[in-house]
Amino acid sequence: MSDDSVPLALPFLRFAAGSSEVTALYCELRKPLLRYLVCLGLSSDEAQDVVQDSFVSLQHHLAAGGTQDNIRGWLFRVAHNQARNRQTSYHRRFGEPLDSETDFVAAGATPENAVLEKEKFRRLRAAIGLLADSERECLLLRAEGLRYREIGDVLGLATSTVADTVERAIKKLAEKCNV
Amino acid sequence: MCELQPKLVAWLDHELPPDQAAEVENHLQACKECRALRDRYQQVSTSFEAYRDALLTAKTCRSVPRWVPALSGALLAITATVLLVAFHRSRIEPPRPVVTPTATRATAAPVKALASESVLPKAIHRRRALPPLPVPATKWQPAETAIQITIPAETMFAPGAIPEGMNFIAELSIGPDGSVERLRLRP
Repeated sequence: MSDDSVPLALPFLRFAAGSSEVTALYCELRKPLLRYLVCLGLSSDEAQDVVQDSFVSLQHHLAAGGTQDNIRGWLFRVAHNQARNRQTSYHRRFGEPLDSETDFVAAGATPENAVLEKEKFRRLRAAIGLLADSERECLLLRAEGLRYREIGDVLGLATSTVADTVERAIKKLAEKCNV
Repeated sequence: MCELQPKLVAWLDHELPPDQAAEVENHLQACKECRALRDRYQQVSTSFEAYRDALLTAKTCRSVPRWVPALSGALLAITATVLLVAFHRSRIEPPRPVVTPTATRATAAPVKALASESVLPKAIHRRRALPPLPVPATKWQPAETAIQITIPAETMFAPGAIPEGMNFIAELSIGPDGSVERLRLRP
């Protein structure tokens, strides 16, 4: 999927003049953030709102002289917390990620491939449903390219704990589903 | 089970220190079981990432909830039904009185003619109001005497006061309200 397939307006006006770094960061991280939030269980619209709010918070953070270490982890942490707050406020079950009712229709796939793909994702979805929340979140952040240290910053875990959690989650998926 | 198996995932993620990574790489060259496990972990990771992409695509493309088309269709059907009923009712009107030109001319009743004209739709919309018609200052006068009454003179005067056999004609002018406005006697 190309980047253009994810419609998301860039809040240029909210960024201060000369903040080209933030704009570049937005272009780089908007899709990973959006994907992470959608996989956590937010709708597409909610995820886009959270992404925009996260970058506005980043702008305020930088304008206030906040630390610029691990900006990517900072953004994921803010987005993760906002997603938790939204799901709590709407009394939703946070452990309902990777939407079970979603139909996966691969564009341009032949009917046979579409059926095989759907079956593969069905097994994978069932296996993911058996993971603990922390395992699922660690895998999602790992899939977005975050280092173990950054994952620990987002979820408030030690790096060694993240390593153990990721290893355990991968092993579970490998055992539970034959993909 | 090899003791290095728990480090395979961290090695795949490039999270191991250089010395431990080198140790795992050396072990992989010699251990077939760990190589198979490494391939398996890689396959699971790839499938998981593809699953995320598919989920994002599915959710982004289906931004409109499924109930929206159904609700829109129902609202459209209700609107069409209401419009149809309203249109049908507007077509059922009481029969308009048929006023033929001859009948209008025969009755010559200006009030009825105005009433029948008011029912007809106005075809011409005047953009400016006409000035009011001037009201005549003089009071209404009848063009001719409405009633003439012949009265014998004996009934009005004493006997011998006037010549015998003389009659008077009373001319009465009737006002708009039916009252007598003027009375004139002439022989």
